[in-house]
Amino acid sequence: MTITSVELIAKERDRLLQRSTRVIGLGSTVIALACFSVPGVLDGTTYLATLPLFVVLAFSLFRLGINQSVVWVCLGMAAGLGILVVVQVPVGDPPGPAIGAALIPLAAGAIGSFAIVLTTAVSRIVILAVGFVVTVVLTELAIPGPFLVSMEGAAVVLGWILATVLGYWLSASIPRAARRIYSIGRAHRAERQASETEAQRRQGARLLHDTVLATLTLLAHSGVGVTVSAMQQQAGEDARLLRQLRLGGTPMPQSSGDYNLEPVEESALGTTLESVKQRFGRMGLEVSWHGTGQVLLPSEVLDAFLLALAECLENVRRHAGVTDAHVTITDDETTVRAMVTDAGVGFDLKDIDEARLGFKDSVVARLRDVGGNARLFSSPGAGTTVVLEVPK
Amino acid sequence: MSGSQVSGYSRPDENTLGVILGKRNRAGVPAGSTAGRAMRQASARGGSLGTGYLGVGASVIATVQAIYGLLAFAGHAATYPSLLPVVVAWLLYALTLVGVAVSIAARGERMSNLFFAAFLIMLAGVVALDLVAIWPLHEIGGYATASASAGFGLLAALTLRREWEILVAAIVLGVVLTVAVVMTTPLTAETIPAQLLLVATSVMPALVGLYIVRRFRRIVQLELDRVLVQSTVSAPRFAVGMLASEELARLDLAAEELLDSVAMGRIRLPLTPRTASVAASLATELRLHLIEGRRETWLYHAITESEQLGKSVTLVDRGSLAGLLAPQQRDGLLAAVWLLVNDQKSNPTASLTLGPVTTAPEPGSRTITVPLVITTTAISRNRVDPATWDAIGKVGRFIDSTHNSSLRVEIECRVNNPADQ
Repeated sequence: MTITSVELIAKERDRLLQRSTRVIGLGSTVIALACFSVPGVLDGTTYLATLPLFVVLAFSLFRLGINQSVVWVCLGMAAGLGILVVVQVPVGDPPGPAIGAALIPLAAGAIGSFAIVLTTAVSRIVILAVGFVVTVVLTELAIPGPFLVSMEGAAVVLGWILATVLGYWLSASIPRAARRIYSIGRAHRAERQASETEAQRRQGARLLHDTVLATLTLLAHSGVGVTVSAMQQQAGEDARLLRQLRLGGTPMPQSSGDYNLEPVEESALGTTLESVKQRFGRMGLEVSWHGTGQVLLPSEVLDAFLLALAECLENVRRHAGVTDAHVTITDDETTVRAMVTDAGVGFDLKDIDEARLGFKDSVVARLRDVGGNARLFSSPGAGTTVVLEVPK
Repeated sequence: MSGSQVSGYSRPDENTLGVILGKRNRAGVPAGSTAGRAMRQASARGGSLGTGYLGVGASVIATVQAIYGLLAFAGHAATYPSLLPVVVAWLLYALTLVGVAVSIAARGERMSNLFFAAFLIMLAGVVALDLVAIWPLHEIGGYATASASAGFGLLAALTLRREWEILVAAIVLGVVLTVAVVMTTPLTAETIPAQLLLVATSVMPALVGLYIVRRFRRIVQLELDRVLVQSTVSAPRFAVGMLASEELARLDLAAEELLDSVAMGRIRLPLTPRTASVAASLATELRLHLIEGRRETWLYHAITESEQLGKSVTLVDRGSLAGLLAPQQRDGLLAAVWLLVNDQKSNPTASLTLGPVTTAPEPGSRTITVPLVITTTAISRNRVDPATWDAIGKVGRFIDSTHNSSLRVEIECRVNNPADQ
């Protein structure tokens, strides 16, 4: 993707980290303040001295939610550590035994939450490490008791570990999701291009010689004013034009504008084959033609032949696992023969129900309608060959 | 193909030019359209895209917290009147976390109602056993270990279940612990902080987790929307758009079936009024397609297909001049508009006006200058992301000013003269 995309997604990632820090930090600050406010936990003077620091801490956390500057991280951490220092200053009564529990939401939650935004760069990881060590040491000093490592100290370590894991995990998950989004985006772009090409092909062909609209308009007036046979003839022509368009050809009707009452008996195979080739080329299957280029066929035979051929190529495209197929056209006095071969995975004829491949309905039935036939040869690993035959 | 199939052609909700016949969703994209469908699929994908990894992270956090809980339990072990219930509680908790992990590994990122119920019952068992064990100590906050971890345990289901289910479970846990505290523990200055801490740690993980997952999904959705729209950058000068091409194929097929039925005599002539009206509506829609649909540009499609841009950006481009922009200019313009309206709080809007081309091309020059004006509401100059200016710079030389306390940017886009191509 473009550089802008990379920048944008990095920005979103930072914003997510900042907002998470803000939510966790402010929540913990509120709980810490509630614990500090319980009468008897702290001496009155000490309590009052912590309040401005709480305000600075909360404000820094709030600003961090919308500003990624490291200044707010440092200021907030300093305010939090300041509270840890202030509670140890021997003024008035010493803190009650509950101070240990009261310090956990502050040291583990409010100060620890800054770790979430400190995992993305080396310089920030240094701040994280220093902040962690200082916080743990100050907490241990603030807690009355003989132990070197108290349970409260362990809780603070836990808080910092959880915040670091969260920060690391969140910053890793955004690029992961982004990579998948970009692959969806690439698929979408290909889809858009294909549909654009297809729509323009249809529009282009129709603007050049469109009798479909005129016929539909006549039909909208119930077909009054035209003889039934002429109407049917024209409708048949137009349906045929649309069918060829659907099959990927660029049809050239025999007339445009006014009504064509002469039936078209025969069409050249070569030009139509070329359009089938182009259509599969657009879908990623390279079709190589060999043999006779120009064969004239009655229109209903040509239709059946092309439909069957397209169906076979579609099967190759979907199932064979290769990107090229070969079509060899041969003809003699009575028959036109197409041999569709691929070097794909092949299959065992006994294992695969022909009906599942749509072979019986779409290929064999169509050809039999016009007096033709189809035969299928394949074995696993040896590719597949289909022989289609129609009478001239 | 039978007559019944032909009469089975029904009017769609909208025609492909975006002229609405039915209702539209909030993004302004017809609900039944290709773009609408793509958007819904994208939303469905966006709902789970990347959250699996996030869910693993939540479980890692729950596990780390459980290790701490076990250490705390070991620290208090000598104090418990009876160790058995706490040991069973911890075993049950471990079983629950492992069970979720195994289920995800074996059956993918989902959690059935039955499994979720079992998960909740097991967590409830953990809390009950732990509370039974520490009840006689009259200090819930100080001694709760496994029950304090249960709040983190809910994180294992964070991305697999609906928001409200997790929320209700967390609140119930908080209430149960509060009631247990009130019933057993004398509330004094010595005990209150530990009790507050216990209740807070039981509810906060789920609340924070839900907040983060919600924001994460929002980011994924927006990025998906932006990336899907980005594909218009490489579209030709006039584009029919994703909406139209599939629709055109559908109309062509319906027309083919109708004409074929007439040709084969399956439908008798003269037509019944009902079939005639089907023919009339097909003709009308096809005609609209072939005539008007060719004046729309990539920018029009980008705006109508995007959820984010569709609701905040309007486009005035009578000469279809946006089609002349080169891919880099389109990329820049799209990124700039995106950055401008991306701020979700103030609901900003942007209006893009292209043309008219007034300056005559210099003699011998193969380019012309298309004026492009972006007027905005609720976007102040100093809140604009710096990357926006780089993006606008890719479109052309620009002058920005403040108009009615909102940003206005005039850009001169130099584009290849279409007359020379």
